[in-house]
Amino acid sequence: MMLRKILVYTLFFYLLALLQTTILAGFEMLGVINLIFVSVVLINLFDQAKDYSGIYAGLSAGFFLDIFSAAFIGQNILILLALALFIKIVLKKYVWPPAL
Amino acid sequence: MKLTKRNKILLIIVGVLIVLSLNFFQKEVKGFFYFISSPIQKNLRQTNGNLSDFFVGIFRGEIFKQENRELKLQIQRLLGEKGFWQALQRENETLRGALELGLQKEFRLALAEIISQDIGQDSVLINQGSKDGLSEGMPVITQEKVLLGRITEAFDDFSRVALTSHQESSFDVAVPDRNVSGLVRGRGGQSLELDLVFQDKEVKEGDLVISTALGGIYPKGLLVGLIKTVERSDIQPFYQIVVSPFFDLSETKTVLIILDF
Repeated sequence: MMLRKILVYTLFFYLLALLQTTILAGFEMLGVINLIFVSVVLINLFDQAKDYSGIYAGLSAGFFLDIFSAAFIGQNILILLALALFIKIVLKKYVWPPAL
Repeated sequence: MKLTKRNKILLIIVGVLIVLSLNFFQKEVKGFFYFISSPIQKNLRQTNGNLSDFFVGIFRGEIFKQENRELKLQIQRLLGEKGFWQALQRENETLRGALELGLQKEFRLALAEIISQDIGQDSVLINQGSKDGLSEGMPVITQEKVLLGRITEAFDDFSRVALTSHQESSFDVAVPDRNVSGLVRGRGGQSLELDLVFQDKEVKEGDLVISTALGGIYPKGLLVGLIKTVERSDIQPFYQIVVSPFFDLSETKTVLIILDF
């Protein structure tokens, strides 16, 4: 189940990175919207308490962001992983019931 | 086997370390992904301008504009059938345009196509690389002699071009009408600023900015942009000038690389 999720996220973020660097690059509204970034936030917000797939989403999203940008490989991975972990910690501390 | 929480975190750390080690083969890894993605990106980019304009039309509520875009998309679909011939025609036109401007006499040029735009917006990927004789530092222009930027990373079959608006870009320019020289810096978001112009000189909105050979980064006489705003400051000796660049990425499909100058 988890492996399937990882594969789906990898494919999803690869396609999203392709869209972001082509079609969405020319679509500006209040600056350029980074859909990869937004997707990682949403996936982690709606992730289940015991599910770690949001972290893997951050990892694969960061990887493709790094590949299709001038950044060194790892820069966006670390940023998105930190973001995913931050959301998880906040949800665990303030939102999810303690039993979870 | 069920992974414990500790093992999961360890797995992620190991994964990150493996990915970081990919930096030792960055050119090969990125080159591989560009190679497998370039056919898809090329097709997606062809619809780029139309689709973004289409969404803008919706948000502005301009019904007629929207209809116009739909019709344009239909035309685009029909034209898509002749895609291959169209691409050849475009290359032909670019080269012909360059010949008419005398660019071929002035510089030794190579032709390339823009494949994708960086997510950070101020660099693009072109479909020619070190195998085609391209190397880092080579200036990239359009057929209208508009300066686009310079190659910052050359892969085997692809190259990354940092636009003049890239935050790490700076080069010498001149305002020929006013006999003024200065330094253009990238501000990101496809915007430029002109610095080191003393306030005792006269510059105005709409003045043309061209490159100079000073610094040896770009050849002289390439079109950079037009002065957008000029602000005077009492505490600084220089003007604060914003320059709007000439290049328009949504319109630019093919570019020329100056191999030597």
